[in-house]
Amino acid sequence: MARIVGGIGASHAPSMEHAYDAGATETEEWRPLFGAFREVGRWLDEVRADRLIVIYNDHFDHFFLGSWPTFALGVADEYPIADEGQGPRAFPPVKGDADFGWHILRSLIADEFDMTICQELEVDHGVISPLPMVDLGAAREWKIPVIPLVVNVILHPLPSPRRCWKLGKAVRRAVLSYPEDLRVVIVGTGGLSHQLTGTSFGTVKQDFDQEFLKLIAEDPERLTAYTYEDFMKRGGTEAVEVVQWLVMRAALPADARPHMETYYPHRIMGYAVQAYDVSSGEGR
Amino acid sequence: MEQVEHEELTDDYWRRLEATRPKDLPPELDLFDEETSRRGLRLNRAAYSLKDEPQRRLFAEDENRWMAQFGLTDEEEDLIRSRDWIGLWRNGMSIYTMTKLIGVTGTPLVEIGKQMRESGGGD
Repeated sequence: MARIVGGIGASHAPSMEHAYDAGATETEEWRPLFGAFREVGRWLDEVRADRLIVIYNDHFDHFFLGSWPTFALGVADEYPIADEGQGPRAFPPVKGDADFGWHILRSLIADEFDMTICQELEVDHGVISPLPMVDLGAAREWKIPVIPLVVNVILHPLPSPRRCWKLGKAVRRAVLSYPEDLRVVIVGTGGLSHQLTGTSFGTVKQDFDQEFLKLIAEDPERLTAYTYEDFMKRGGTEAVEVVQWLVMRAALPADARPHMETYYPHRIMGYAVQAYDVSSGEGR
Repeated sequence: MEQVEHEELTDDYWRRLEATRPKDLPPELDLFDEETSRRGLRLNRAAYSLKDEPQRRLFAEDENRWMAQFGLTDEEEDLIRSRDWIGLWRNGMSIYTMTKLIGVTGTPLVEIGKQMRESGGGD
């Protein structure tokens, strides 16, 4: 049967892509963040992860206001890199696993999460700003197939934090019920604090970020009582992306704790990476 | 919102319904909300189109012909023509579609940020 062997929470941002593509990951400016990602990549090798379920939000790079899904799941064997407005980044399409994707889809629908079904999905920086640091081989090939799960945090009304928590529980059941012997890591990308509009543009809220990192690790269900106003007032309007971490965390055992954590407030964002190794209690 | 009286409409129901609409946000947070997305549909459709290379080429070759595809109002066309980022934002263009327009006009995001901070608030 498939097992969940770990979880990752990570920021996503075009700035990370620009730094990576410019070869600036080892500069003084970016090493604090990319060093952490490198460690997470090494740990993924050690834990022999062979599938990633990546929970993220699209930013008008695949979906448009004309029809915007609340929850959507990729069920394809590959996902092209989205052109976000300046040409797609020079990576091959992200590898998928259609069989596993369709299984997860059936399981989520059986659990009353009625997903939008994506046989075609272009993935944007929500997936591929953190992905190269943890999943790219020496020949720039993707190593671990990805199942993308998209949660709307862009077009209001948004699914509640409590609903996102329940979705994570359902993702867990979908993995545990798959007969193939897979080692799965759940990834949630987004946040932490940032504010991209209005007179508060560029404000980073370190207090919120630190509180969030502690709660998501130790008492994540408390975050389900937060309203979107709470997240926005304390972390900025774009901080609502942290619900992607909440889905991830709900798929892990309650007593899981991060074995890696990095927080790097820089320029207009509170960047963070957390990784949870739950491989020792496999099948829990 | 006016609360209709009905025994099946519990306090918990009203609380959940209320939570779908963020409110009481300080003006400096100027959220892209339901109202903005309805108001900004045309402008966002135009900027979204720039994720495709042929649209970017058309934009570079003939901006007016590019704009003519989206049923924009005269005011909206003027906002794009004059690179009035604050005006575009106030008329409902999302920051995420705006980044595509920023890209083809060669405007750095920090410049947008500077204008946002100095704009003196939302609507």
